[in-house]
Amino acid sequence: MVETLISALVAGLLVGGLYAVVAIGLSLIFGIIRVINFAHGSLLMASMYAGFWLWRLCGIDPYLSIVIVVPLAFIGGYGVQHFLIHPMFQRERTYVVEPLGVLLLMAGLDMALANGALLLFKSDFRAVTVPYGAAAIHLGFLTIPITRLILLVISMLLALGLSWLLSRTELGNGIRAVGQNREAAALCGLNVYHTYALTFGLGCAVTGFGGCAMLPFYFVDPSMGLPLAIKSFIIVVLGGLGSIPGALVGGFIIGVVESVGGQFVPATSASIFSLIMFLFIVFFRPKGLMGVLEA
Amino acid sequence: MAILEVYSLSKRFGGLTAVSDLSFSLNESEIVGLIGPNGAGKTTVFNMIAGFYKPDNGRVVFQGENLTGLRPYEICRRGIARTFQVTKPFLDSTVLDNVMVGGFLQARNATEARNIAWKALETLEFSDRADAIGHEINVPDRKRLELARALATGAKLLLLDEPMAGLTPSEKGHIIDLLRKINEEGFSLVVVEHDMKVVMSLCPRIILMDRAVKLVEGTPEEVCSDPKAITAYLGEEYAARDISQGDEDGTA
Amino acid sequence: MERRSISFNWIVAAILLAIAVIIPFVLEKHPYYVHIFILVFLFGYLSTAWGLVGQSGQLSFGHAVFVGLGGYTSTILFMDYAITPWIGMLAGVIVASVFGIIIGYPTLRLRGPYFALATLAFGLILQTYVVNTQELGPIKLRGAMGLLLPLKNGGDAPAVFQFATKTPYYFIALAMMICAVLLSYLLNRTRIGFYWTAIRSDQDAAESLGINAGKYRLLAFLLSCALTALGGTLWAQYFHYINAERGMALSLSIEIVLVGVVGGWQTISGPMIGAMLIIPISELLRAELGGGFAGLHALIYGLILMGVILWLPRGLNPLVMSGLKCLGDRLWSTNPAVNTPGIVGGSGKVEGR
Repeated sequence: MVETLISALVAGLLVGGLYAVVAIGLSLIFGIIRVINFAHGSLLMASMYAGFWLWRLCGIDPYLSIVIVVPLAFIGGYGVQHFLIHPMFQRERTYVVEPLGVLLLMAGLDMALANGALLLFKSDFRAVTVPYGAAAIHLGFLTIPITRLILLVISMLLALGLSWLLSRTELGNGIRAVGQNREAAALCGLNVYHTYALTFGLGCAVTGFGGCAMLPFYFVDPSMGLPLAIKSFIIVVLGGLGSIPGALVGGFIIGVVESVGGQFVPATSASIFSLIMFLFIVFFRPKGLMGVLEA
Repeated sequence: MAILEVYSLSKRFGGLTAVSDLSFSLNESEIVGLIGPNGAGKTTVFNMIAGFYKPDNGRVVFQGENLTGLRPYEICRRGIARTFQVTKPFLDSTVLDNVMVGGFLQARNATEARNIAWKALETLEFSDRADAIGHEINVPDRKRLELARALATGAKLLLLDEPMAGLTPSEKGHIIDLLRKINEEGFSLVVVEHDMKVVMSLCPRIILMDRAVKLVEGTPEEVCSDPKAITAYLGEEYAARDISQGDEDGTA
Repeated sequence: MERRSISFNWIVAAILLAIAVIIPFVLEKHPYYVHIFILVFLFGYLSTAWGLVGQSGQLSFGHAVFVGLGGYTSTILFMDYAITPWIGMLAGVIVASVFGIIIGYPTLRLRGPYFALATLAFGLILQTYVVNTQELGPIKLRGAMGLLLPLKNGGDAPAVFQFATKTPYYFIALAMMICAVLLSYLLNRTRIGFYWTAIRSDQDAAESLGINAGKYRLLAFLLSCALTALGGTLWAQYFHYINAERGMALSLSIEIVLVGVVGGWQTISGPMIGAMLIIPISELLRAELGGGFAGLHALIYGLILMGVILWLPRGLNPLVMSGLKCLGDRLWSTNPAVNTPGIVGGSGKVEGR
């Protein structure tokens, strides 16, 4: 019994690393630009397909394809902000209900991306097979797949790196300033819209990084985006808006809760726990666990 | 007959005291001006009377009833209406529809509300613009719209938050006339204003606030010659100059 | 001028209604097209009901839940307790209203995007629960299998809301949609509608005019849930099947949102117009292209949604309305260039304010 629980705990942490890596990018976008990026999951899916086809057609190992996919993801994210979201912000000067508008726009983008992928790639699950795919570390009764462990480490490194970027660099300061008060930031000479686009690009780049690291063990299919995106929202709200470490911690919490909870109720029901937690946070502590910014 | 009595209102925001121990009263059909430098606490007082903030201390009594801490809509139902410093018209509705929203508070159905709205528009000489859409009209018209909407609710007391802000002198004169007209019809007004000319001509009684407290209360002449008032607005040097007439304290 | 606009729109409506009444008889040999019309009316109805929440200023992403609750209630009552769905649908309304209070009360005060996410979360919770649960006490939910409607008399039993041909369903769906739109229209002329407009335009200003925003929002939400639940019963009765996988799904919620937003989600006739555009597109695409192009219709949905948000934020409704107005002016007067100053709320079957 204890062994099963510990296994579930470890599995939960590993899954948590995966959730975290997806949530970190969203935390940046949601926290700074205040956009409910419904399309986040599909953007992840897109970068994973890119990584998959690079492996399938050119034989490039997923970890190596990071070098190609991440810049592409950055450009993609920059483009989304620049071409799609920016016009919405400009319209804000009129009386259009803006935050909901952006939400719907992103929902539309998500639909378009997911179904575009469905058309192009069909609904088959794609998997990358790498020689080290089955390698695992054995600790007593625990079996820890190397690929998942690597992702866990990557998630922590990405969180660390992003936090460092945000707090120690000029770019990061600019991003945080814009996230706190964009009028004031503009008055200080910051190019707000360029900063927003950079932020979106950065968020997508981080997500793309994680996506490639997921390829060795995670199946890709066109519809994988939305469930992961919803999980990411839960994590971001749980961890607290504007907090990258919060997204990491939130990811672990959700992963563990679902994994351990899955020992007591059917796995498909375990997702209800995170949803209920989400509602709890929204109603009673909107700032989340480590929230810095106002909702 | 005192229609509004405010006792020892206080409000803090974190470490900042916005309003401290403010008391005043208003008689029926009176106009009182609330003036003071920026940050004095005037709008906070309004927000407490109108129910947007809950006072930390003190009471608001309207027509004998304790209104302290009630929600804004409950306070409006009991007869206090307010306008906003930055106008808030319903941008997609016509002027008439805007005012009707206020009118529904007294009306039983849409027809009655419409009639009440027309009356309010006529009082404010605004009937010709009844079909204009909220986002089309200019600032002075928005001010009149806010006034008409507040009138339509049937409120006895109107709290007007800087009704003159953003208007040209001639527009201000027009609004002053309208306010006098409203007052003559029996409405009591509390007006927050910065423009001293407006305040002097409109308000027979003025309350001056500075840094959360009430400094002076009285007729315009009384307030203006009070050294505390002069210091609050212009600084100590000016007060010191006037003090040369023989007052004891050189400071306020 | 105002009078002319009113009459003209009503005339157009009457003409459309007359056409709608004849259609099922004209298309008797083509039941598939009748089916498409039924879907248009069904989604027009569901989105109009959903739109009531929009009129009070909130956008719900979990409305499929109420479709499911309504359909499940009436169907379970019929399957296990032999209660005719005509009565069962009223029970569905009650069940949906109870859930509406539970969901609406804490969420309606949240700001727009958070309300959307919260309703989405509630929807997922309920859907996941029903999919995974065979029984809840005496209630047999039947989990992922869903509820297969037992046919009485081979499917020809009007007393229990089962008809042999599509025509009765057609008229019921049409009637429901028209009633929903009319209800929306009438409400907009009364205190409730004015207050909804005020709340969604500027809540602080509304409260300062004596409006209890929370109460009116909840009213809109409950009304919306109740109506949506009725649609759920129609769904179950027409498709002869309802399950949580589809009937309570996020995808259905999104479809309802899509139809409403494309048409104009805070207007009276918008959702109906949205249904008229969106539903035929997807159905015809599905029929013509079939399995080989799975996802094409949803891709187009996504693109249309993006396009509408970017270029037609108010949806199609304003276009249709100004088109009607143009047409009306032209037909009525010899001088079509006459401009009435912004009469938006006075004409019949027009958007809200």
